[in-house]
Amino acid sequence: MFTQFKYWKPYISPFDPCEPIRIKSYSTPPQLYIQFQPPGLPQYPTAKQALHCGTLWPDLFSPYPNPEKKGN
Amino acid sequence: MTTKKLPPEYYQMLEEIQANDFVALELNLYLDTHPNDFEAIKQFNDVSLKSMEMKVEFEKHFGPLMNFGRSFSNYPWNWKDAPWPWQV
Repeated sequence: MFTQFKYWKPYISPFDPCEPIRIKSYSTPPQLYIQFQPPGLPQYPTAKQALHCGTLWPDLFSPYPNPEKKGN
Repeated sequence: MTTKKLPPEYYQMLEEIQANDFVALELNLYLDTHPNDFEAIKQFNDVSLKSMEMKVEFEKHFGPLMNFGRSFSNYPWNWKDAPWPWQV
C-alpha cells in the first residue's frame, strides 16, 4: 500500500549551530500512484466534506501538511 | 453610521454555495479527462443546476453575487454595497 509521506534522515554536522531537524518528510499524494483515474470512484457523501478534504474522491485525499510534524 | 450586521444564514448559504461550486469544479476537471463518463456528466448537470438555484435564492435575500448581467438586482441598485468578497 502506498504511504502519504516518505521520511529520511539528513546528515547532521557536529558544527550545526541550531537544533537540527533529525527526520524530514515529503508528501507523496495518491495521484502519484494512479496512472489514470478509473471512472466511478467512490465520492464523499456531502459537498462540504469534499470541500474540507480538498477533493471529491477519498482515494485521492492527501493530508497536507504532515499531521505528525506538528507545525514545523 | 451603524455597521452592517449580517445574519448567520448569510454565511451558511454562502458556504453551501462554495461547497457546491467546489464539487462542480472537481467534476469539471474530471470530465476534461473523462469525456465519456455519463454518470459524471449527469452529476455535473445536477450540481450546476443546484448551484444556479442556490445563487438565485441567495441573491433574493442578500443582493447580487455577480454583476454585468449575471445576477438580478434589487431596488435600489446595490451590487456595490458591502461586504465585498474579500470583506466577507
